[in-house]
Amino acid sequence: MNIAVLIKQVPDTETVIKIADDGKSIKTDDIKWIMNPYDEYAVEAALRLKEKTRGKVTIISTGPQRVVESIRTALAMGADEGVLVDDPALEGSDVFGVAKALAAVVKELNPDVILCGHRAVDYDEGQRGAAVAEMLGLPHIPFAVAIDVDDGATKVKVDRPVEGGKMSLEASLPVLITLGGAHAIWNPRYASLPGIMKAKKKPLATKTLSDLGIDSSEVGPDARKIRIISMEMPPEREPGKIINGDLDTEGKAKELVRVLKEEVKIL
Amino acid sequence: MTPGYFPGNILFLVIFLAANAFFFYSVYKLYRIMLLGKPEDRFGQYGERIKSVLAFVFGQKRVLREPSGIGHFLIFWGFMVITIGSIETFGVGIYHNFSYEPIIGKFLYNILYLVQDIFCAAVLVALAVALYRRFVIKPLRLESDDPKATKLDALIIIGLIAVLIILLFGSRATDAQLYAKGEGKYFPPLAIISQILALAFSGASVNTLKFWNTFFWWAHTIVILAFLVYIPYSKHLHLLAAIPNVFFRRLGPVGELSKMDLEDEEAESFGIAKIEDFTWKQLLDLYACTECGRCAENCPATLTEKPLNPKYVIHHMKEHLKKKGELLLAGGGNGSGEGDTVNQGQEEGAQETKSELDRALIGDVVPKETLWSCTTCGNCMENCPVFIEHVHKFVDMRRYLVLTESDFPAEVATVFRNWETNSNPWGIGFAQRGDWAKDLPVKTLAEDSNVEYLLYVGCAGSFDDRGQKVARAVVKLLNEAGVSFAILGQEEKCCGETARRIGNEYLFQMMAADLVETINGYGVKKIIVTCPHGYNCLKNEYPQFGGEWKVYHHTEVLDKLVKEGMLTPTKYVNRNIVFHDSCYLGRYNSVYEQPRNVIKAIPGTVLSEMDRHRHKSFCCGAGGGRMWMEETLGKKKINDERTEQALRCNPDIIGVACPFCTTMFEDGLKAKDLEESIKVYDIAELLAMSVEFKK
Repeated sequence: MNIAVLIKQVPDTETVIKIADDGKSIKTDDIKWIMNPYDEYAVEAALRLKEKTRGKVTIISTGPQRVVESIRTALAMGADEGVLVDDPALEGSDVFGVAKALAAVVKELNPDVILCGHRAVDYDEGQRGAAVAEMLGLPHIPFAVAIDVDDGATKVKVDRPVEGGKMSLEASLPVLITLGGAHAIWNPRYASLPGIMKAKKKPLATKTLSDLGIDSSEVGPDARKIRIISMEMPPEREPGKIINGDLDTEGKAKELVRVLKEEVKIL
Repeated sequence: MTPGYFPGNILFLVIFLAANAFFFYSVYKLYRIMLLGKPEDRFGQYGERIKSVLAFVFGQKRVLREPSGIGHFLIFWGFMVITIGSIETFGVGIYHNFSYEPIIGKFLYNILYLVQDIFCAAVLVALAVALYRRFVIKPLRLESDDPKATKLDALIIIGLIAVLIILLFGSRATDAQLYAKGEGKYFPPLAIISQILALAFSGASVNTLKFWNTFFWWAHTIVILAFLVYIPYSKHLHLLAAIPNVFFRRLGPVGELSKMDLEDEEAESFGIAKIEDFTWKQLLDLYACTECGRCAENCPATLTEKPLNPKYVIHHMKEHLKKKGELLLAGGGNGSGEGDTVNQGQEEGAQETKSELDRALIGDVVPKETLWSCTTCGNCMENCPVFIEHVHKFVDMRRYLVLTESDFPAEVATVFRNWETNSNPWGIGFAQRGDWAKDLPVKTLAEDSNVEYLLYVGCAGSFDDRGQKVARAVVKLLNEAGVSFAILGQEEKCCGETARRIGNEYLFQMMAADLVETINGYGVKKIIVTCPHGYNCLKNEYPQFGGEWKVYHHTEVLDKLVKEGMLTPTKYVNRNIVFHDSCYLGRYNSVYEQPRNVIKAIPGTVLSEMDRHRHKSFCCGAGGGRMWMEETLGKKKINDERTEQALRCNPDIIGVACPFCTTMFEDGLKAKDLEESIKVYDIAELLAMSVEFKK
């Protein structure tokens, strides 16, 4: 069974995000880039399917050369090949532009199952999987927390949560599934050292838009259907107020009541 | 068959040579099994090595650290003295009139016999005590999970030695009585005990005496030779292996783990997965173990009933090595094809063959939980009389689990990722590393690299609220004393010590290379570290990666500054302070005095010591990566146990010098609702309380 995993490189969740001077983007210096955690679950899910069906896993991503590191991470975990679409014309694309490039790679590979995170933790748009599925005319199953494939590898069974309950879905191949759940559900594997060594030698192709037959006018900032107008940081939290520690318990209680009534005005 | 006459002497020679041949064959086999191990350089510095043997073998220095060691001392020296006598006994077996007396003269001969008599009696007393300890007192350290192999073994050995000595006394008593009756060769009158025992035979006829004398001589000789034959198959193998093991001991820092070669891109396996993957010295360690249990008695995991007892681990590895090694030498390993020669008629034997070769070192011989239970505190190694290195073996096996199998406690995966992305175990953004010092008068090397010291703050000092307070106190004190120093700020990275001890050598080596490059980029010569783990790592392990610096822990620097009058503690701190030795500061680096000196220099303080202090200090439970693992096994948490030990000193303050220890004690006190009444302070914080700051 051929499995394709779409991954995105995002800023580490602990990075202190700063808005750039244009007010519409973020500053990228001092950012540590990681694989989008939901995409990491997708890699894990793909490797489990591979182990069951003795299939092949291809990692697909877009972006500059720094993204190679994330693809290698997935290869070290056990994926077989990687494809990176690295083309300056893609920079500044919205999700439709990126999806076009991803869909073109997927189309060439013709996989049975396509997996990716249901959202990326950077812009939280949650459209990539759906857009690629739409462009390729594939069924799209969102928020998977469990994926199984039948013995003949003809259809998948997917569990997804619904309002705390569970729904089981089935679809024939090919299909695109986006991954939900959490770290504790998927427990993505930690690459072994032989895995890391092998990953250095696994095939990783870099492609441009023209390789994929995409005209650069179809992507990039000018082709955006959605434009970012502005960004705003969350308001800084005001420091807490500490009631005078020299007072006795009764005094503290009185002071607290006074503050709640007069200053905070919630009593 | 009177000894020393034909044909008795021929019979004796045959038995003697057969026993020796068997003994040397057994030892040779063990030697060949040991050489199945990988190479390791333990040569050179021979003067130092000979000194070690004199102190720790002949001087029994570590054995004597506890009272029961006196028994061993007597048996050891008794054995040496009796062996001199045994050679004379063997001489008599060849020629009946053989004696040392004409060689050394009557006077020395008398002294020799007196000394032998006394040692023989002393050994008998020591053996009685040994039996009493094993079968009545049963201390923790003599417990066994393989009683057939160890208890029976001990009984056989103690029994053999006792019988051997009783028979020797019999032989001597009859020798003495025969001489008194004008028969036989000279017997020294000064051998008081033999002479007293001889009185028991005073009524016997010469013929009866000769009969008993012959009986005692043969019985004594055969027991000695039986003992010789038995040694290589029992834990008494330590008699042979302890001496080379002490001789080849690690002379460099014990806290230095080996540097793995990770360059081999074709390698399918990293770390120790099979017993023969260890080095020859690590295998010799196994032979040297006498199963005295000093390791277990001091192991925080054993004492809180985790599935780890260092003595059992060594015992099971030794048994596995001996069985598997023999099969490997016979060609039973690694599909060499020679294994097929197993006799088909011996099916049972063939099955046994299969099972020992197939037993996995990790999992079957040493359970995984055992490896993960180790805090790498080094108490086992510190108290081992024959210098066995348990911790290095544990880490070597962890390395296999982590690097090759990706098999480790689930919670550790997150910590590994945190180190990878943000170079700290909490996973806080790396860019915030220098934020703790933003409002402090402290420079970064980027701002001014013309300073004497780099203050390497470490992860806790940079990111942990509690650790930051300690880092601030250190900065305040260094500034007050006018020390020229700077920090790395945002450029600082984790030293990787904990990743290395968890077994992730790959991650550690990447972190080390990174940090060395940064530090050397500023031409740093001297470093002050606020965390004992980073201190040990930078001081003892970074030279492996080109980090050649003078490294100090802040307690060393503060002690020096107080002594030189650069810092003067004047304010009274009227508190009872119990000081806890951090493993990586104390045991691994012998920094015992400096933190105590600082406490003593503070007016008003009372310094208390726990029962387990200095080299016997009990780990807080956080070392070896345990800080980042759940502690679900065992009867008790290690930090709760250590906190209780501290509470027995009725302290107002628990003094520490390590951020891990701080956390573990504070958690221990919280669990007992004592966090309001008893405080945990770093030595730097204590000193800062007492110094009147002028700057």
